[in-house]
Amino acid sequence: MPGEAPAPLTKRADAPAPFSDQAAKHWFLSSIVWLTVVDLFGLVLATEFVTPAAFGDISWLSFSRVRPAHVNGVILAWLTMMYFAALFYMLPRLVGTRGMWSERLGVWCCWAWNVMYTLGVIGLLTGHSQGREYGEFIWPVDILLLVIWCVNIFNILATVQIRTIRPIYVSVWFFIASPIWLAVDYAIGNVIWSPGKIWSAPSGALTNSLSDAILNWWYAHNLFGLWLTPMLLALTYYIVPRVTNTPLYSYTLSLVSFWGMAFFYTGVGDHHILQSPTPAWLKTIAEVSSWMLLVPVFAFTINILGTMKGNWDKFFTNLPLRFTMTAFFFYFLVNIQGAFEALQPFNRLTHFTNFVVAHAHLALLGAFTILGMGVIDYMVAQVYQRPLFSRNLTEWQYWLVTVGFTGFFSVLTLAGFQQGFSWAQGIPEVNVLPQLHAYYIARGIFGAMIVLSGIVQAVNIGLTMFTNTAERRRRETLRVAEIVAPPVSG
Amino acid sequence: MTEDEQRPEGRVLPRGWTRHPPERMLITPLVAGLGGLIAFFVVVFIVVWLPIHTFDPPASADWTPLSNDAVKGRNLFASNGCYVCHSGYSRPQDVRYALYFLYPKVSAPGDFYGSDQTPNLLGTERTGPDLSQESGWHPEDWQRAHFYDPRYMDPLSLMPEMKSLFSDKQVEQLITYVETRSGKSGLLRYAGQIYSKHIVTANQGFAPAPVGFQGAHGQILEGNDKILNPPKGQLEEAPNLAQIDRGYWLSGDPLPVTEGNLLRGKEVFQERCVGCHGLKGNGKGPGAKFLSPAPADFTSADDACCGGDTGPGDFYYRILRGWPGTAMENFGDRLSVNDIWRVVLFIKTIPNHTLRKNYVPQPSDYITWQPSKELLAWVKSSQKLENNVGFNKAPVTDPYMQEAMRVMPGLSTGDSFLINDGKTRLSLQDAAAGIKAIYDDLLNRAWDEARARGSKLPSETQKAIPPTVPGQQ
Repeated sequence: MPGEAPAPLTKRADAPAPFSDQAAKHWFLSSIVWLTVVDLFGLVLATEFVTPAAFGDISWLSFSRVRPAHVNGVILAWLTMMYFAALFYMLPRLVGTRGMWSERLGVWCCWAWNVMYTLGVIGLLTGHSQGREYGEFIWPVDILLLVIWCVNIFNILATVQIRTIRPIYVSVWFFIASPIWLAVDYAIGNVIWSPGKIWSAPSGALTNSLSDAILNWWYAHNLFGLWLTPMLLALTYYIVPRVTNTPLYSYTLSLVSFWGMAFFYTGVGDHHILQSPTPAWLKTIAEVSSWMLLVPVFAFTINILGTMKGNWDKFFTNLPLRFTMTAFFFYFLVNIQGAFEALQPFNRLTHFTNFVVAHAHLALLGAFTILGMGVIDYMVAQVYQRPLFSRNLTEWQYWLVTVGFTGFFSVLTLAGFQQGFSWAQGIPEVNVLPQLHAYYIARGIFGAMIVLSGIVQAVNIGLTMFTNTAERRRRETLRVAEIVAPPVSG
Repeated sequence: MTEDEQRPEGRVLPRGWTRHPPERMLITPLVAGLGGLIAFFVVVFIVVWLPIHTFDPPASADWTPLSNDAVKGRNLFASNGCYVCHSGYSRPQDVRYALYFLYPKVSAPGDFYGSDQTPNLLGTERTGPDLSQESGWHPEDWQRAHFYDPRYMDPLSLMPEMKSLFSDKQVEQLITYVETRSGKSGLLRYAGQIYSKHIVTANQGFAPAPVGFQGAHGQILEGNDKILNPPKGQLEEAPNLAQIDRGYWLSGDPLPVTEGNLLRGKEVFQERCVGCHGLKGNGKGPGAKFLSPAPADFTSADDACCGGDTGPGDFYYRILRGWPGTAMENFGDRLSVNDIWRVVLFIKTIPNHTLRKNYVPQPSDYITWQPSKELLAWVKSSQKLENNVGFNKAPVTDPYMQEAMRVMPGLSTGDSFLINDGKTRLSLQDAAAGIKAIYDDLLNRAWDEARARGSKLPSETQKAIPPTVPGQQ
C-alpha cells in the first residue's frame, strides 16, 4: 500500500550459513588505517623535498627517518595487511569452507601485526634501524614479524587441508606459495641468525659488505617479486572472474604465470646495483631474468584480457572491477618499464634518479594500492552484506587516486630524466636540485590527492559500517519505484 | 550438469567435489607449496649462495680499516637512514662525466673488504651526492656546521637538519666516519686538510673551532693579532698566497665590468655564498660561528682595492679550487668558469653596498684592484723561480708531495719561509713531511683499533702500500 513502511528484509530460511570473515574484517580495517598513516608519512617526505626545514628540528620527522617508516609501512602495514585480509576473505570461498581454519587465530595475528608495525616504526623514527634498505626493522621486530607470519601460514595451510573443493583454484596456488616464499625470503634477507647489536646497526647483515648488498637487494626485490606481485595476481584472478561471472580464460596460461614467476622473479635483485662492483655474471643473470619475467607477465595479461572479453561494460559500472583493471594496467606498465630499467644502457641513465622512485610508486601505488582499494571496497560490501555508503565517494576515491598517481608518476619520471641527463653532462647533484623544485611542488600536490583518496575511502567505509545502507538502499529503490510505477489501486 | 555426472562410469563424488580435468597439469597444495619452494631455492642457490661463497675480493691497495669512532659514526649513518639519499659507491660513468671533485675514482670491489663495512651502504638514490669519496674535501668545522643545518654551508641543499638528531659526541663520530671512509686516497686528502687547517689557523691567530654543535651557541671567532709575530721584511699575505697557484696572483678579471656580469655575480653570490659570508658580505653568515678561521669579510674597500691576496685571480682560484684548511669549498664543478669570474667581479663591488635589496650593481660600483708595492716587491725579490722550476714538467711521484702541492699550490720547490706566528716554517718539504706524519698517524690508529676490535684485516703489506692521488688534481 502506498505510504505504508515497507517490511524489513528477512533472511531466506534455506540461506547458507554466512561466512565468518572475522579475521578478514580485522585485517582490512587495520590496513585502511595504516594506509592513511603511511600516506601521511609520504606527504611529510614530499613536503621536505619542497621546504627541507618544514618540520624544524623535530628529530622524528627527519627525512632520513621518515622515509624508511614510509617504505616499510607501505609494504608491511598497508599492503601486507590488505593482502592478508583478501586472503582470509577469498580462501574460504575458494576452498569451500565457512571460514579460515581458525578465524580467532587470524584476529589475534592481526592485533599482533599492528603491535609489530607500531614498535618497528617507533624504532625507525627514533633512530633504531638496521640500516639496510627495505630491511630496516630491528631484529626483535623481525622475529615478531616472522612468528606472526608463520602462524598465518599455518592457518592458511590448515584451511587448505580442510577444504571441501578438491581442485585448488589459481589464486589458491599463490595463497599457499607466496607467504611461504616471503617467510623464507624475509628470514634469509634479514640475516636473522645474526642479531648483531640488536637495537641498531650493525644488525641482521652479512659482514662482507658486497655480499650483504647482493643479499639485501635480492631480498628487497623479492618483497615485490614473491609477495606483493603474486598476491596481486591472486587477487586479480579472483576479482575479475568473480565480478564478471566469467570463468578464467586459460588454465594453462595461469600455470605459465605461476611457474614463470617462481623461476624468473627470484633472480632479478642484482639489477638494483648494476653499476656496483659486484660480479658481472650476477648482473647478467639479473638482466636476463628481468626480461624473462615478461613471459609470466604476458601470460597473466593475456589471461585477464581474455577473461574480460565481452565484459568491459562492467569496467564502467562496477567500481571494484574498475580499480582492479586500473591496477592491472599499471602492473603491466611497471613490468615493461622495469625490464628496460634493468638493462645496462638504460640503467646508466636512470639509476639513482627520481625515475626509480616513480617506478617504485608505479608498482606499490599504481598497481598494488589501487588494487587494494578496490578489493577492500568489494570485501566491505560483501562482508557487511550491504552496499557502500556512497557511490559518489567511491568515485571520488577512484579519480583522486588515479589522477593523483598518474600526475605523481609523470612528474617524477620527468624529474628522473632531468637528473639523469644533467648528471650525464657532468652537472653535479646539487646544481640539479633547483631545477627539480617545480617537480617537487607538483609531486606534493598530486601526493596530497592520493592521501585524500585514502581518507575518502576510510570515511566511506566507516559510514557503511555504522549506517544500515542496505535498508536505506531498499527504501530509495522503493521510493523510485513508486514514482516510476505507482501501485495500481484495486 | 557437471562433467562427472556425464561420465559413463557414474562415479559418485560428494557434493561440491569436482574431479579435476585429467588432461591438464594438476596443481595440488603440495605442488604449489613444495614445488614453489624448490623453484625458489634453485634460483636462490645461483643468485645468493653462489656469489656469497665465491665472491670475496681481496683488499684493494686503496683500502683502509676504520677507527673505533669511525665505526660508531658508520652505525649512526646506517641507523638514521642517511643512505636513502647518499649512495656509497662511485660508478664508472660518474668518473667519466668528469666530476672529479665528487668522484675522483671508480669504486673497486676491494674497497669494500673486511668486516667493518656492515651493513652495506650502497644505496639506490642520489638526492645528495655520493659520499664514498667525500673524505678530505671539507674540513671538520665545515662538516659540523653542515650537519647542524646544511643550508648554513650550502643554501641550495635539501638535506634535513641534524641538530636534533645527534649529540656533540655523536656528530664528531659521524664526521670521523665521513672523513676517513674513502680509503687511503681519502685519508691523504684528510691529512692535507688537517695540515692546512693547522697552517691557516696558526697564521691568522685563530683558536680551534668549537667541537660538536657547540658553535651554534658561541660567537664568531676572531683572529688574535697579539699572538702573531710576522717575520720582518716578509709580505704579510705570503702564507695565504702559498695556497694560490702563482699564475693567478697578479691576474685580472678577463670579463668586462658590465651590469649584466655584475648582476649574475650577485645572483650566484646570494645563491651559494651567503651561508658563511653573510647577506651583507661581511663574513657573518649563520654558519660563521662554527668556523675557524672565520669566513672572509668582503666589505673593506681597502682590501678590495689593494690587498695583497685579494686580487681577482686570487678570488677566482679560491672559488675554483677551494682553500684547504678553511671552510671554503671548491666550486669548480658546480659553477662555470665565467660564473666564477662574474662572482669575482661582484665581490669587488660589495664595499659599495651592492648587496642591498633590489639593487642592480653598477659598473661604477666596481673597485679596481691594483697590486700593492709590497706584493710586487715580494714577487720580484723572493719569488724568483730557479731554473724555471715552475714550468718543470717532471712528474712528482711521492703522494705526500703531490698532496702538499695540492694544498699549497703557490709554493715552489725552493720556497721556505716562516708563517705569521713567527715560528712555523712553510715549505713544500715541510708540508709533505707534516702530511705524511698525519696520514701515518690516522692509518696506524685505524689499523690498531681494528686489530683490537678483531676485525678482518689483510696482511701488513697492504698497509705499507703508499696512497695515491686519483683523478685530475
